[in-house]
Amino acid sequence: MILNVDLASEVPIYQQIRDRIVEAIADGVLTEGSPLPATRALAADFGINFHTVNKAYDLLRQQGLIRLNRKTGAVVTSTVADSPFCTEWTARARTLLAEAVAKGLPADGVLKTCESVLNSFGTDLSEDTP
Amino acid sequence: MTTTIALSSGVSALMLVLLLVLPSVSSPTVPFGVRVPARRVDDPTVVRQTRIYRWRVFALGIVSAAVGVVIYGLTGKPFLLPLSVLMVVGVWYGCYFLANRKIRVAKAAGGWYEGLHQGIAVDTELRTDPPRFPWLWLAPALIVTVATTVIGVIAYPSMPEMLVVHHGANGVPNRLAAKSVNAAFSLVFVQIGVTALLVGIAAAIFFSSRSDIDPGRPVSSARWHRRYMSLGAKALLGLVAMIDLGMLGSSLLMWTGTVISWAPLVVVLPILVAVVVAVVVLARNNLAGDEAEEVTGMAHRDDDMYWRGGLFYVNPEDHALVVPRRFGLGWTLNFGNPRVAMLLVAVVGLAGLLITLRFGG
Repeated sequence: MILNVDLASEVPIYQQIRDRIVEAIADGVLTEGSPLPATRALAADFGINFHTVNKAYDLLRQQGLIRLNRKTGAVVTSTVADSPFCTEWTARARTLLAEAVAKGLPADGVLKTCESVLNSFGTDLSEDTP
Repeated sequence: MTTTIALSSGVSALMLVLLLVLPSVSSPTVPFGVRVPARRVDDPTVVRQTRIYRWRVFALGIVSAAVGVVIYGLTGKPFLLPLSVLMVVGVWYGCYFLANRKIRVAKAAGGWYEGLHQGIAVDTELRTDPPRFPWLWLAPALIVTVATTVIGVIAYPSMPEMLVVHHGANGVPNRLAAKSVNAAFSLVFVQIGVTALLVGIAAAIFFSSRSDIDPGRPVSSARWHRRYMSLGAKALLGLVAMIDLGMLGSSLLMWTGTVISWAPLVVVLPILVAVVVAVVVLARNNLAGDEAEEVTGMAHRDDDMYWRGGLFYVNPEDHALVVPRRFGLGWTLNFGNPRVAMLLVAVVGLAGLLITLRFGG
């Protein structure tokens, strides 16, 4: 899996790492049991402080997307959305959609974008499944 | 004398060809060690500096090699001959540095990185599913070393009482030693030492070098990195086998008491062939292939400040020991890493100890 970090972005690096890993899980590039590099190794590859990678992994752990273990390292876990997550996610989606409406994007265009993004996820999984 | 001049001129010519080819096999986004965005790789400054560099290296390289040969011809001292090779390297660095400076100035003046998204790309699979070290390629070196030892043990009783342990540059034996296990098996010890050293270097590069993935085309760049690591390790292991082969040939001459004028070639030729093959293989694969890949629109981060003199990587914040070389083939050390500093001190100390022991003895 390729992890790209944009140094000019206003989004902090730990957040970008977390976002790319979430996208890889949605894409099916990372599945349940997929290992992630050790924090120090990933930090060395990026040339950044390992606390930054730790922060990203901690966010993912809090959201139940990965499991951290001394022996096995960071591993992707299977997760089911619970009620607090749904509430929090709806609030974030609302803000994102509000931005689209405030900027005058047409509703059908917004829906189409949502649909195409959703459809783009899991393509790797469906291709691998016989 | 003619053989020595021919050998030295050959080495200088090979180096010159390599130095002239290097701009073509180095990454186009790092011309002369200056990081530039993909849209600037054909900038007039870069094109002009490449042309000027080639002319300077060609003319001054030939002059340096000729001066070395003339000095040797006048003095007749063989140890002066490597000077011509050193002069070619010195001349090369001067030309390289001038080109580096001109491009850096143009880059700063033109604001080449303004408005670009600089990024870093990492392939996590290089950590979670690392490429395998080609251990099988170590087999030839081990077989040659074991064969040398076995032949030596069998031939020991019939070896001459005085063994030739050193040849002059003209091929005439200039040092003899009474038959002993140490003298007879000296080259076997060299085989073992060189094999251990080069395998250690190959493994260190393979397991601890940081990938330098192009964020603009990360997938093909990561694929190339895997292939290049494997090729680099195989090239080094092939070189080890050829060095060991040279030692086997030289040992056979010593053990049979054979005196031939081209004795040094028995060692030099296999090594030279291996070096040429390794350089050609690495040079041919030094660039990521032009594979079809959707570009991300991101540029490699401008990290010129960590490359002192455009050549030496000094970044104390980077934990990597070994990083890909910016200009040229292979890898270089991160001189800002305290562990590299300790390693260099240890190497210098060991070399000093060996020289002291040699001259002391």
